[in-house]
Amino acid sequence: MMRWLLVAGFSITSLAHALAQPAGDAVRPLVLLTQPQAASPQDYQAAEMAADAWKALGLKVTVRPLPGQQFNQIVWYERQRWDTTTWQMVGRPERSDPDELTYNLFVSTNIANGYNLVGLNSPDYDRLAQAQREELDLPKRQALIRQTQDYINEQQPYGFMVHPKNLVAFNQKVWDESTMQVQAGIGIRNFWTWTNLKPKGAQKDVIVNSVAPPTNLSPFNIPGAQGSWATELVWDRLMRIGPDGLPRPWAAESVTRPTATTVEVVLRSGMMWHDGLPVTIEDAKFSLEAPGYGDKSPMYRPFVSNIAKVEITGPMKLLITLKRPDAAFLVSSLSKLNLAPMHIWAPIFEDLKNKPETAESIMEKLPIGSGPFKFVSVKLTEQIVLEANPEHWAKPNVSRWIMRIAPNIEASLGALKSGEINFLTDYTGDPELLTSLVKSNPDIKVADSLDIGFRFIAYNERRPPFNDVAFRRALSAVMDREAMAADAYGGAAVAANSWISPALSFWASPGIEKRVPGGNLEAAKKMLKDAGYVLINGELHYPPGVKETTPVFQ
Amino acid sequence: MLKHALGRLGHLVLVLWAVTTLTFVMFRLMPGDPTLNFLSPSFSEETRAALLKSFGLDRPMWEQYLIYMANLLRGELGMSFLQGKSVVVLLGEALPNTVILTVVSLSCAYAFGVVAGAFLAFRRGGLVEALAIPSALATRAAPEFWLGMLLLTGFAFQAGWFPTGGALSPGKELGSFSTSLVSGDYWWHLALPALTLMLYLQGLPLLLMRATMLDVLNDEFIVMARMKGLSRWSIVIRHAARNALLPVVTAFALGLGASIGGNVVVETVFAWPGIGRLLVQAVQTADYPLAQGAFILIAAVLVLMNTVADLAYALLDPRVSFGAKR
Repeated sequence: MMRWLLVAGFSITSLAHALAQPAGDAVRPLVLLTQPQAASPQDYQAAEMAADAWKALGLKVTVRPLPGQQFNQIVWYERQRWDTTTWQMVGRPERSDPDELTYNLFVSTNIANGYNLVGLNSPDYDRLAQAQREELDLPKRQALIRQTQDYINEQQPYGFMVHPKNLVAFNQKVWDESTMQVQAGIGIRNFWTWTNLKPKGAQKDVIVNSVAPPTNLSPFNIPGAQGSWATELVWDRLMRIGPDGLPRPWAAESVTRPTATTVEVVLRSGMMWHDGLPVTIEDAKFSLEAPGYGDKSPMYRPFVSNIAKVEITGPMKLLITLKRPDAAFLVSSLSKLNLAPMHIWAPIFEDLKNKPETAESIMEKLPIGSGPFKFVSVKLTEQIVLEANPEHWAKPNVSRWIMRIAPNIEASLGALKSGEINFLTDYTGDPELLTSLVKSNPDIKVADSLDIGFRFIAYNERRPPFNDVAFRRALSAVMDREAMAADAYGGAAVAANSWISPALSFWASPGIEKRVPGGNLEAAKKMLKDAGYVLINGELHYPPGVKETTPVFQ
Repeated sequence: MLKHALGRLGHLVLVLWAVTTLTFVMFRLMPGDPTLNFLSPSFSEETRAALLKSFGLDRPMWEQYLIYMANLLRGELGMSFLQGKSVVVLLGEALPNTVILTVVSLSCAYAFGVVAGAFLAFRRGGLVEALAIPSALATRAAPEFWLGMLLLTGFAFQAGWFPTGGALSPGKELGSFSTSLVSGDYWWHLALPALTLMLYLQGLPLLLMRATMLDVLNDEFIVMARMKGLSRWSIVIRHAARNALLPVVTAFALGLGASIGGNVVVETVFAWPGIGRLLVQAVQTADYPLAQGAFILIAAVLVLMNTVADLAYALLDPRVSFGAKR
């Protein structure tokens, strides 16, 4: 009896003590990093909107724009230093398979120096991500991918903002719109459009624009987004991501997976390099192996890192053995690696053995590929001119594909109007300007499409209070994504709550953008209150007993 | 004279060394890793290290500096990080375009400025002057990008008389630069950027010429010419204008030097493939070798033209001497 009385007395004392315990320290002033307004006006405005929303929770928040190079340096390489930052993942055809982002963004092995820049450390998530990677059965993998999205929705390691829309405009008097291909998550500016496009009249040159110059064009270099538009036309790949977002054989006649760790490829016969030599099975083997030679192809090396060996098993047949099962291998590797002519590149790799340079820095005067277009001239800061390859099995209907490189976005709009370009492929300006151009010029048509990429605010879990799931959920709940899409992104975006865009409808979790925990200011305040946070004189304090030990970002 | 010329040459070398050293240090003091400008940060540490090694950026800064200076003395400016081409080749491709743009616009600006300045001095106090001086000042004060965009909107977007950018029509290839010079397409593309630069540059010679002319017109030899009964135009053209030209010639030489590096804005607005545009791209992407090469070239031209102006002054005006003659 006495013992029970003691216990009860102790409990009451503890409860009273807890009730009387003062709130924790005030949360330090938080800094939200972003790009300067001039570099990315949309992200900057969205950051301002998020900061304003967080201030309503009693936080002191400063939006701090940083120049690009410094921004990247701090976010990626000084991970203990920042609180929160805007960031984006861009849409690329190979991201049509969700594996790359599903795995890399959040698995714990990437905390130190990989994609997991927020430092989410969850064995449960790691298991799910690995399971989807190894699952070759499509419906089962779809279910796993949706589970990962639900898990991340609960954890809110990011405040997802929007999935942007691609704005592309073209002259419909010049091009037959019905011959354009819409690629899921990419839109009409894609490989399939360039190879299928039919002219309506005498103008047979596709003239596109780019606001940024590409880097070195080589089969072993990733020359930026714009440069890739040209390289994917010049160099064939064994597979390509189709308009449906799924991989399909291209330079391969067939691709099969006899076991979980083997892939059998039959090379298409009759292919020729642009210099007139035949494409051989040795070329295909070389193209899969060369990126793995030492450190001479650092950009492409990750795409072959899971290949254990490549064997020639017939006159046109390869057997690829993988180190581990990889459901996305056809997308992330076979649809990514360029077929490079061995007779040109094998001596180059040999020559590079004792030099500090990499294969990425080598550019032939007129690079040789086997694709549906071939190089005519390249001036990386002015224009790239390709011509149709009449020997290719997928011979294009157009004569030439020309990329004009001009940094002035408004001048590019004028060039579309005047006919100097007939495809506006790189437009990052005000959507309103484009709309008014279309209104005044019925020949111009805009085709917008939802992108695979997404924009988000990353919460650094290495720095309290971002390690508290309740705090993160409250921050996400109070962000008005619809307003961001409409105002900051000028309507050229849709609200997001996942890294998988609704454009990839097979993989996206339906309606997840509406399932953000909480969902408004009052709900966010309640979440914080329930988690022990206290509002004193309009300033948010940690739960009782918690000290602020993290320095303010400088 | 020879001693002075040698002294100026020594000065030139010193300035160039200072510019080279400053640009070298400046880029390396910028926060962040240059590979981040063209390599996704998601690439591994190993990948970045391999690239830094291939750029020679893995060595200590003093070692990089010594290598750079030794290469510079041999006329090597290194390889562009992004384009994988020799910086000398890239600058060599861009320089002729900048020189043509500069020479054409500066010549037109000075020809117009000299004539208009002389005319306005001669017709001082009239309605023409009341309109012309504010107009000249306004175009001089207007930002180049604004002037460029205004001309683009009027003559390219609306009227469609001129192209919106570049040096040649899409897909056109002329091979050598000398072929471009005789191509109508090249000159058609040059028109708007040259006009923008001309409008921007004409204010200085116009105002300078007018001010000097006003001084000269009050000189005794002009009064004498009038007393001799010479015609008004003879007085203005043969006597006053010739004497007023000296500071304008000096300004032309300095303007030529400054414009080589000062075309950055116009070249960017019109996508004109010159040194200025190359410099902007190099700085934006931390392409150190290319940016350093462009800066050194611009500084060299500027210092050289200063020296030329200095020496030309002595040749044109016998009253100027370099020695200690009394």
